[in-house]
Amino acid sequence: MDGPDRAAERLQARAPEMELIREAQAGSRAAFDALVRQYEQQVLRLALHLTGSEHDAEDIYQEAFLKAFRYIGNFRFECSFYTWIYRIVTNLCLDQLRRRKTRREDQAVVLDHSGDEIDILSSVSDNRSFSNPAKELDRKVLGERIQAALSKLTPRERMVFELKHYQGLRLRTIGEMLNTTEETAKNTLFRATKKLRTQLAGLR
Amino acid sequence: MNCELAHERIVLAAYGELPDEQAHELDRHLAACPECSREREQLLALKTLSMAYPVIEPDPNFVTRSRIRLEEELDALPPKSWYERFGQRILNNFSNLQAAPVAALLLLIVGAGAGTLGGYEFAQARAAHAAGRASAVPIAKADPGPVVPAPSAEVANISSIVRQPNSEIVDVTYNQVVPQHIEGSLDDPAIRQLLMLASANASSQGVRDDSVGLLAAECRAGHACQGAGIRDALMVALRYDKSEAVREKALQGLQPYVAEDMRVRDAVLEALLNDRDPRIRAAAISELEPVQADTGVRRVLSTVANSDNNPHIRTVSRQVLSRAPVFQ
Repeated sequence: MDGPDRAAERLQARAPEMELIREAQAGSRAAFDALVRQYEQQVLRLALHLTGSEHDAEDIYQEAFLKAFRYIGNFRFECSFYTWIYRIVTNLCLDQLRRRKTRREDQAVVLDHSGDEIDILSSVSDNRSFSNPAKELDRKVLGERIQAALSKLTPRERMVFELKHYQGLRLRTIGEMLNTTEETAKNTLFRATKKLRTQLAGLR
Repeated sequence: MNCELAHERIVLAAYGELPDEQAHELDRHLAACPECSREREQLLALKTLSMAYPVIEPDPNFVTRSRIRLEEELDALPPKSWYERFGQRILNNFSNLQAAPVAALLLLIVGAGAGTLGGYEFAQARAAHAAGRASAVPIAKADPGPVVPAPSAEVANISSIVRQPNSEIVDVTYNQVVPQHIEGSLDDPAIRQLLMLASANASSQGVRDDSVGLLAAECRAGHACQGAGIRDALMVALRYDKSEAVREKALQGLQPYVAEDMRVRDAVLEALLNDRDPRIRAAAISELEPVQADTGVRRVLSTVANSDNNPHIRTVSRQVLSRAPVFQ
């Protein structure tokens, strides 16, 4: 006999993403909005960690979904929609990283929407920090050093490291998203880890 | 294995990308190579240090704020014209025919025919335009003021702008949206077609609400609600509409068909599992009660009775389950 959740799973499978995409391609705004809701959290999470700024992350979110809306008709189901959306997002993130390199900005802290600094470590639950303010400060400083080291990577190295280390994606998927091969993504990861180890060597 | 290769495999292993047989080979190398062993320690230290800049979940207010801004920008975009949607539908349908050479050939013939016709009409228009220019009557484009589109029509888009060489004359080709009005009974296929379009595509919630309400009332009154996609339109509204009021009306309209139409039953079950509004989930339960003998329905009710985050929904699901006879 079927397990207890099979009926629910069958239902979930009967409303696959493909139907949503087809309806969005046919002009259904409701279907497109449903797609946005499926991916918005991941998109913002990635853009926020990559840019360190709520303002920049929101801009990337807007541009990404507006582009998706404009070009959803071009989606031909040759890859997953997840990969397609991430391809758009990663390209926008790469553009942002390249602009920063040009302006020589080092975003050492995370900024919220009004430009105030967010203490990211305060959102990380750690009982020890409440009893040891000095240690909390050390972690904050360490976090800033990590961000500074990350900003020294090339945009592609930063992107591959972000997607592999922080977002946990497979190298093959990362290659697809960046329109390159798994082998190239692998080599980029090697370079990124080597550079970061050099940058952070003094912190051990 | 040389150390350079080992260093690369250390990185892959740290990120779970190294195949098992290579991992075993790497372990043997590391056991015999202190330098590579240190390399692995340093990489693991890097991974630990990187946690000092953790990935944080976006604040729900931030997500909502971003979504609202996106919706405003999408609402401000002009709607696609009918021929853009039609063209897109053709492209999407024929993109699945890569393995159908005959159909692809037909597409080529149709496309060539349309292109020829379009070219013919273009040539005719150009000839008429040239004849108009050759006449002694000054044409409207020579006037300082532009030709004004018909007062009741909106300009949908501009498809081309061509400045005539060595001239102040500019040719503008534009397409107009002409608002239309139609009046008829709810049995009129044209009225029904427009209501179904409005249920999925109207940007105003009020218009979607009215259209879904009318379609739902037709179904509940037992009027012709079988073909013509009315049930499909209600199911799309139930599944995707942003407004709880619209989804509620769609659910009410589908109620007469839960027993006889498995697609409708599945759509209501899906609403019970996934709709974020507990009132809609509760209404779905009451619509499913007459068919609770269906084992699929019972399984979903059982899931909901155990895992819904609303206590009232869990209670009502259990009550329905307890009232039904159990079939082996």
